[in-house]
Amino acid sequence: MHDTSASAAPPNPDETGLDTLYQIETPEGIDLTAQVAGPVPRILAYTVDLFYRSLILLVLGITLRVAGNTGIGLWLLCSFLLEWFYPVLFEVLRRGQTPGKQAFSLAVVNDNLTPIGWGPSIMRNLLRFADFLPFGYFAGILSMSCGRYFQRLGDYAAGTVVVYREQVAKTGELPDAAPTPPPRGLQLADQQAIVSLTERSNVLSRARQQELADLLEPVTGLSGDDGLRRLHGIGRWLLGARRPQQNKATATNTPTQPEVAQ
Amino acid sequence: MNLDRLAVNARPRSSWESVDLGILLARRHWLQMTALWLFPAALVFLLLGLIFPDSPGWAIFAIWWLKPVFERLPLLVASRQLFGESMDNREALSHFRRANARDWFAWISWRRLSFTRAFDMPLTVLENASGRARATRLSLLHRKAASTASWLHIVGVHVEMILSLGVMALVYMLLPEQLEIDWLPLINSNTLLLSWISNGVSLLVMAAVAPFYVYAGFMLYIGRRVELEAWDLEIHFRKMRTRLEASQKTTRRSPAGVRTGTATSLLCAIGLILCSTIAVPPPAQADVATPAQSEELIDEVLAEDNFHRRELQSRWRLKEFKSRERAFPQWLINLMEWLEGLGRDDDEQVEENAGELWPLVAGIIELLLWIAAAALIMFLLWYFRHHLRSLAGYRPQRKSAEVQRPETLFGLDVRSDSLPDDVTAEVLKLWRCGAQREAMGLLYRASLANLISRFDCAFEDHHTEAECAQLVREEATQDPRLQPALVQFFGLLTTTWQRQAYAHRPPANTQLETLCRQWQQVFHEGQAGEKSP
Repeated sequence: MHDTSASAAPPNPDETGLDTLYQIETPEGIDLTAQVAGPVPRILAYTVDLFYRSLILLVLGITLRVAGNTGIGLWLLCSFLLEWFYPVLFEVLRRGQTPGKQAFSLAVVNDNLTPIGWGPSIMRNLLRFADFLPFGYFAGILSMSCGRYFQRLGDYAAGTVVVYREQVAKTGELPDAAPTPPPRGLQLADQQAIVSLTERSNVLSRARQQELADLLEPVTGLSGDDGLRRLHGIGRWLLGARRPQQNKATATNTPTQPEVAQ
Repeated sequence: MNLDRLAVNARPRSSWESVDLGILLARRHWLQMTALWLFPAALVFLLLGLIFPDSPGWAIFAIWWLKPVFERLPLLVASRQLFGESMDNREALSHFRRANARDWFAWISWRRLSFTRAFDMPLTVLENASGRARATRLSLLHRKAASTASWLHIVGVHVEMILSLGVMALVYMLLPEQLEIDWLPLINSNTLLLSWISNGVSLLVMAAVAPFYVYAGFMLYIGRRVELEAWDLEIHFRKMRTRLEASQKTTRRSPAGVRTGTATSLLCAIGLILCSTIAVPPPAQADVATPAQSEELIDEVLAEDNFHRRELQSRWRLKEFKSRERAFPQWLINLMEWLEGLGRDDDEQVEENAGELWPLVAGIIELLLWIAAAALIMFLLWYFRHHLRSLAGYRPQRKSAEVQRPETLFGLDVRSDSLPDDVTAEVLKLWRCGAQREAMGLLYRASLANLISRFDCAFEDHHTEAECAQLVREEATQDPRLQPALVQFFGLLTTTWQRQAYAHRPPANTQLETLCRQWQQVFHEGQAGEKSP
């Protein structure tokens, strides 16, 4: 009994290898996981923002030319406000996303993964200056590349991280297979893996899927295409399908044909 | 390729995440990777410097052009490191020729300006693909990762540039101002030494950035393969298989153990039955005998829906969102419609209802203003209620039974039964004994007590002496019993008492006697007058 339970314990996160995940536990005991974003997408997001800002300033510059010296003054004011408050306003009011960050589906959050507020946002954006030194965000690039969670100096000061705003993967069409209850002894991770195989049936080649299904021959008791179809059935059952769909009338017939062929 | 020894967490990632993972790995192995890149490159750089000492620019250009050759070795080591094989520098350098055995010429000629170099190179190093096979494979891999790879390349170029300039700026900023070096001739003269130094810095920067570039591209490639070949599933299925096989072995081994187990439990049961006559209730699941069976049962129960409550939350939302769905009550809708009508004049109704919001806002503001005006009037009325009351000549009729008569006023006992029978005699007696304060106090106290008990003056605990006198004056206008003489006397007595009590200035003898006489007149004659009719 002890032997089996030890082997059945979930794998230690440290053993699963290096990853870019940021994990915290809330006081309520809920584990939250976010994927922190590294320097390359962040630099590109900054470039997009820089482009938008330059565009705004260019348009303003052309339109304010009519106002002469007043126009120049206004333009300077606008450029100041854009430089320092463009990121702050977007980050606080648009769920941590400037347009550039949105383009790369990044978002700034506090390091406890709560939405960012005025204080931290102002802090991290004022410290852009420190990150800029001595030239072209030199310090920021070094800090991002060397930090475990890719934080620049402003992020350290404000206690923020930049994470990917996870987009829910659209599951494609599930394979046609009669839902089958899973065998006994499947753990959560096992079930997730089988569900993942079912969902990725469109992405993976059929041969590769069969190869993977053969690994689970002891579980399904079947090999080759039958084993794969059984796994798909288990996956669909785990995803909530309990009985064949209406169009199953035809679908149930089709899987039998290859069997005959084989 | 043993996937069980993969050093990173295999999961399907977006291509940007793969790049990030590469950065993380590069940071971990940075020193070795940089050394492996730098060693051959620095060798070539030095050789070129010795052969052509006059052309530092061409030397660094040559290094730059040969970058793909230098990147092969770090890539090879990275691929070993990914599967848990470490390689020391000496061993790695001995692989230099093997790493560059294939298509090195292609990479330093027509493929040199490719933007997807970091992504494409693992194909050669790891898969040994070439020709048509390489092309088809590349098109498959490029389908999703090519744009990320190109952007990685572009970012890499710029970061290299920024870092070179940054190092120079840093040196310049850290020089003390007192040095007062004349920079312009130094920069303009283009001294050979300076060029060699700056190119050396560029070489070091290239070596520092190369591991990140190589690893990021490599992990992008690995990420694409994880996606295409479902490495994560393979790893997990393999683990699952070994676990299941192990557990099957234990179950196969168990029957012997079960037999002995049942035998002992049987003995125990017999013992129990023998020992006690109490019937032991049979366990609910009598068929669960072995740990393996019970484990299966537990798994089965745990797999039921009761134990699986999962929610997928992809965005932040307010906790209480039920209240937001609540329907508006009818009266509120009516009010809104009425408000919309308020702000709109008849002329506006003719117009298109394009600005439908604004009449509503105007109506709300109008209503608020009306409410504010009404509230202001109410407040003013409440604030000046006493004045208004007296202006209207209204005096609240209190019934004497209801009035709570105070027993003490400013520390003086004003109950009428606390007074001596003949007040003035007592006062004069005290006065003559020299107890002037007590004498005045008694007189004043007696006046208050009489005013309260006989004239129903509404003195209250919080009133002061002056307020009492004021109250008597006010009440005299409405109460005919309070004659002017009494009012005047009480005013005089109050001031005299105040002087005595607070300023310790006793009245003159004659003054006191006059007061006593007046007191007698005011209260006793009044009393007589009251009693006689």
